[in-house]
Amino acid sequence: MLLAACGKEAEPLWLQGRADPLSQADAQRGRKVIERYGCVACHVIPGVRGPASSVGPPLAHMAARAYVGGVLPNTPDNLVRWLRDPPAADPRTAMPDMGLDAAEAKDVAAYLYTLD
Amino acid sequence: MKTRKRIVAITLAASAGAAALAGGLFVYSGVYDVSATEQHTAFVYRLLDTSMRRSIELRTADVKVPPLDGAERISNGYRKFRSHCVQCHGAPGVAPQDFALGLMPAPAALVATARKRPAAEIYWVISNGIKMSGMPAWRYRLRDEEIWDVVAFMKTLPALSPAEYAALDERHAGPDKRHATAAQQAPAPAAASSRGHGEESGGDEELGDIAAGRKAMQQYLCATCHVIPGVVGAGEHVGPSLAGIADRRYIAGVLPNTPANMLRWLRHPTQVDPLSAMPDLGVTDQDARDIAAFLYTLGAR
Repeated sequence: MLLAACGKEAEPLWLQGRADPLSQADAQRGRKVIERYGCVACHVIPGVRGPASSVGPPLAHMAARAYVGGVLPNTPDNLVRWLRDPPAADPRTAMPDMGLDAAEAKDVAAYLYTLD
Repeated sequence: MKTRKRIVAITLAASAGAAALAGGLFVYSGVYDVSATEQHTAFVYRLLDTSMRRSIELRTADVKVPPLDGAERISNGYRKFRSHCVQCHGAPGVAPQDFALGLMPAPAALVATARKRPAAEIYWVISNGIKMSGMPAWRYRLRDEEIWDVVAFMKTLPALSPAEYAALDERHAGPDKRHATAAQQAPAPAAASSRGHGEESGGDEELGDIAAGRKAMQQYLCATCHVIPGVVGAGEHVGPSLAGIADRRYIAGVLPNTPANMLRWLRHPTQVDPLSAMPDLGVTDQDARDIAAFLYTLGAR
């Protein structure tokens, strides 16, 4: 998307200071959203108490990960997109659409980006 | 007092001499294994890695970084990247070529480099190369501006999906190169036959040799993208950590974690999930069985 328009005007890149899509998000609110939706039923998430489930991958180091769900570059926009509807990003993923709204997904993303 | 000083001096000199002799014997005896199939010890790896990092940091303090966000610069950089870098380093969803898979030290997955290292350091490494690695000094081959173009493109890698990279290749490559990426992306037709591949030797779920599998994880550059307990230098978070993979319910979030599925994924990940950032690395049937055997030793606890 970003570079498909080679030679034409490219969008400014996330790393080079686009407006932060998580500027209104709150990591602590995100942690509560994670508890409410029961993300720990499948993922080990540092800072959130859970049953040590290994259905999905542990979410430690999420801030350092290059890709989300193995398919999307790990930018804030993409992480929010993934959280809102994973099968829309990768039809083969085992992760279901949990029905997070935009604000919830941004808060969860903000929390996950505290995990480096 | 004088004699005590003399005793200290003689002792020091003797131990220094003994250490030098032992070092010389160690080197001359040839017991140190220089093969690229034997991984470094954790200590030697840490020593080499820290030396490299500190050396680069020291030499880039004064590098002036030009503006890197121009579309033309990024586009020029992509072209240089495609002709000079992707062969060894790969790209999102693109595997390095065969000769590069066997390099030690392993060529870095540049998306991780781009995420973590400042532009000045990337510029310096491209320009000056790195001793005792496969990284050449490009300053005698590329102009300074061209090197900055490559840096500018590399800095876009963290936001570039495999599909977007493939689209770039599609747009810019000649017909022959286009074939290479088209093969990477080829979805359905081969998927049906992929079960057949798993049966080349042994049964569908027969696992191989654990120690051989650990070695093979270096030789297919798994270690440049995944944290892998027991594999020295495997510390990047490009893909998920493989710690605990034995107990994980799904492979890559898409396949139920059975030995047969693991073999299928290791050999042909893009057939299992065409969107995956993990490229097909040409893993042979036997190597896949060995790697799977090793991975199933990595339990959650």
